[in-house]
Amino acid sequence: MDDSDLHNAFHDEGPGGEDTILSPRGIEAFTRKVTTTASHLAGHASNPNDNHYRNAMTQVHKSMRRPGMQRSMFSMAKTTPTDLVRSKFSTSEIQSRALSYLSDDMLKNIPEDDNSYSLFQGFSASFPELTDEGKKHRRRVSRGRKMLEESPSAPESPQHLHKLKKERSSLMHELEMLGIRKNMASSEIREIDNKIANLGGMRRIILERLAGLEQEEALLEHDIVDMEGRIDDAQVLVDEAESIAAATPIRTDEDDLVTDQDAHEFMSQSVYEQLPSASSTPSKPRRHKTVRRKSMPILHEHFDPGFNIREIKAHQDNITAMDFDVPFGTMITSAMDDTVKVWDLNAGRCIGMLEGHTASVRALQVEDNLLVTGSMDATIRLWDLSKAHYDPQGSQFGREDEEDDGMAFENADDQPVDPPEGSMDECPLFTLESHVDEITALHFRGDVLVSGSADKTLRHWDLQKGRCVQTLDVMWAAAQASVSLDTGEGSWRQTNRPASRSADFIGSVQVFESALACGTADGMVRLWDLRSGQVHRSLVGHTGPVTCLQFDDAHLVTGSLDRSIRIWDLRTGSIFDAYAYDNPVTSMSFDSRRIVSAAGEDVVKVYDKMESRQWDCGAGITEAEENRTPAIVDHVRVKEGYLVEGRQDGIVGVWAC
Amino acid sequence: MAALPHAVDAETPLKPSELKVLRDQYEKEGEMVGVQTKFNYAWGLVKSNSRNDQQLGVQLLSEIFRLSPERRRECLYYLALGNYKLGNFGEARRYNDLLLEKEPANLQAADLRRLIDDKVATEGLKGVAIISGVAIAAGVIGGILFRGKRR
Repeated sequence: MDDSDLHNAFHDEGPGGEDTILSPRGIEAFTRKVTTTASHLAGHASNPNDNHYRNAMTQVHKSMRRPGMQRSMFSMAKTTPTDLVRSKFSTSEIQSRALSYLSDDMLKNIPEDDNSYSLFQGFSASFPELTDEGKKHRRRVSRGRKMLEESPSAPESPQHLHKLKKERSSLMHELEMLGIRKNMASSEIREIDNKIANLGGMRRIILERLAGLEQEEALLEHDIVDMEGRIDDAQVLVDEAESIAAATPIRTDEDDLVTDQDAHEFMSQSVYEQLPSASSTPSKPRRHKTVRRKSMPILHEHFDPGFNIREIKAHQDNITAMDFDVPFGTMITSAMDDTVKVWDLNAGRCIGMLEGHTASVRALQVEDNLLVTGSMDATIRLWDLSKAHYDPQGSQFGREDEEDDGMAFENADDQPVDPPEGSMDECPLFTLESHVDEITALHFRGDVLVSGSADKTLRHWDLQKGRCVQTLDVMWAAAQASVSLDTGEGSWRQTNRPASRSADFIGSVQVFESALACGTADGMVRLWDLRSGQVHRSLVGHTGPVTCLQFDDAHLVTGSLDRSIRIWDLRTGSIFDAYAYDNPVTSMSFDSRRIVSAAGEDVVKVYDKMESRQWDCGAGITEAEENRTPAIVDHVRVKEGYLVEGRQDGIVGVWAC
Repeated sequence: MAALPHAVDAETPLKPSELKVLRDQYEKEGEMVGVQTKFNYAWGLVKSNSRNDQQLGVQLLSEIFRLSPERRRECLYYLALGNYKLGNFGEARRYNDLLLEKEPANLQAADLRRLIDDKVATEGLKGVAIISGVAIAAGVIGGILFRGKRR
């Protein structure tokens, strides 16, 4: 131990010791010279080298102090130039020393050792495995056999005992090695877990960056649309000016009266033609939309399933219907309080209120900028959302603090801003008023709109012409089916469930070209051909009113108050799959990967088709820990993993799933 | 089995094929290399007789020291041993003394200290011999010259 004291003492004294053989000044001069040489050789590494040098000098001193204590333990196989000279004059030496140099700070920070095995033990345990794995295994087996063979030969001889002991110790050794290797494996798993955690952190950071970028993108796109609108307007003005300029020179004063009349006629004609042109407005905003869709929001795809993207206090009352166009796009909600609200999902803000319906809206659908709402007042209204005055940057609300708010949610949630008055004034297109009872379901695609009403009829509308093309009487179709087939299959059947659950006569409809699917309160799903106006297939299976349905190219999925979700094969008309929940299914929606349902719970039930897995998504999971009970989810919609659910207390939750 | 290798262990080189296995494993794991694999390769290098290998081994050990705080304590010993083998006694002593400070009862570290002391003593004596030899030679020459001048 006193060695180190001496060492330290000399370390402090430096090369200036008085009792050395050489003169201290000479050594000092040597030090300086050598240090400068070294700095020339490797400039940046000079600092550590000083240290080496000092250490080396200390060693020299020490050896001079204790000349009698040397003992040779190893023969010098190689020639050993002194540490001192090497550390000062060889470039590669200096480099390697600099690379492997550890600062004093780092040396101070040495935590307690709590590893179950040392790295060296790990080395000795894994090394034979790496080099001659097969051999070892074989040896073990053969040895086992040998033991069996040889044990009866001379069981009483001392050699035998000795051998057995040797065997035991080698087996013990192997057991020890196995233990170490086991520990190694588990600690490697821990290491990987740490790496995963680190990567998770990085992922979060990048996700935030992505969110910011999408936010910027959305704003920029809005500006582009705005700019294009202005260009269009300017173009119209320029064209008008040109046409006027071209027309005026040939006009005389006498013609003026006639021209006025002409203009009048022209104007009136344009008014006359406004209805069809108005009904074809989807085409115009669609152009705008295509501009806006230059970039697709992909943020939600990177969220973990079940991540709450947003929660909006949309209404004070039950949500009665809702829909959205694209992830982070526009959402429409309607509630028992008879209001219809338009939301910007990206910013989580209300864009405006749609005024017109005199009762609450029970069914609605939005596609591009065309919104169709069906209300309890028996009317269907069409709206053009592209006519809304809305600035996504929110400057018109006098809130300038938006820039640093990457997702722009919290503010919107904390203090719901009332939408600007009259922002939706130009949106109404026209009203369809043929039904005589409340609209409970509607669906449109292209120019074909089909609505289902409590008056027990379906109406087929042509949006191009803005009028009803045909009326489909469900009761009549049911009666026809029962007469013609006489199997009872197609007839109207009263379900054994009480109708008091306020089941809508027509729970849901979906149309595609001339194909129409409709689910009714008798638990039947009827597939109609709109060209003939006939039911060409009935899907029987549900024992309660059908509340929701959706189909794609292969399957039709239906949800019913009998608590089940059924997946039908569209080609054969047979059941493809089915599952049930604890409560009646009130709403269902699916995308390419999952079927999401609202089944009278505070969570959305999600069925992952790819993994055939059921899981829950929604406020009921997280808030259960906080002893809060969120309201029952009534309505769900999912598109491309972007899930929106509406609850009985008027809150709308947006989730990634 | 001892948790730390004896100094003798570092003096027995691996076969080139064995070292290659370790290197392959190390290179296979690429950037996400595990501590154990890194150590295995580093230790194989330190055991080698080639000075370049030893230097690389010590570098890898210092990397482990930097990146895996939970392994630092035992790494002190490996670093000390590696530097001792390289002949960098200053570094070797620095690490070994630090380890002994934390674990005074560590037999391997105490052994290593003794080895370092001995090595330093013999080498230092050689140094003294060389320097004094030079001094004597200078003295002799100087004496001759001086004498010649006087004549």
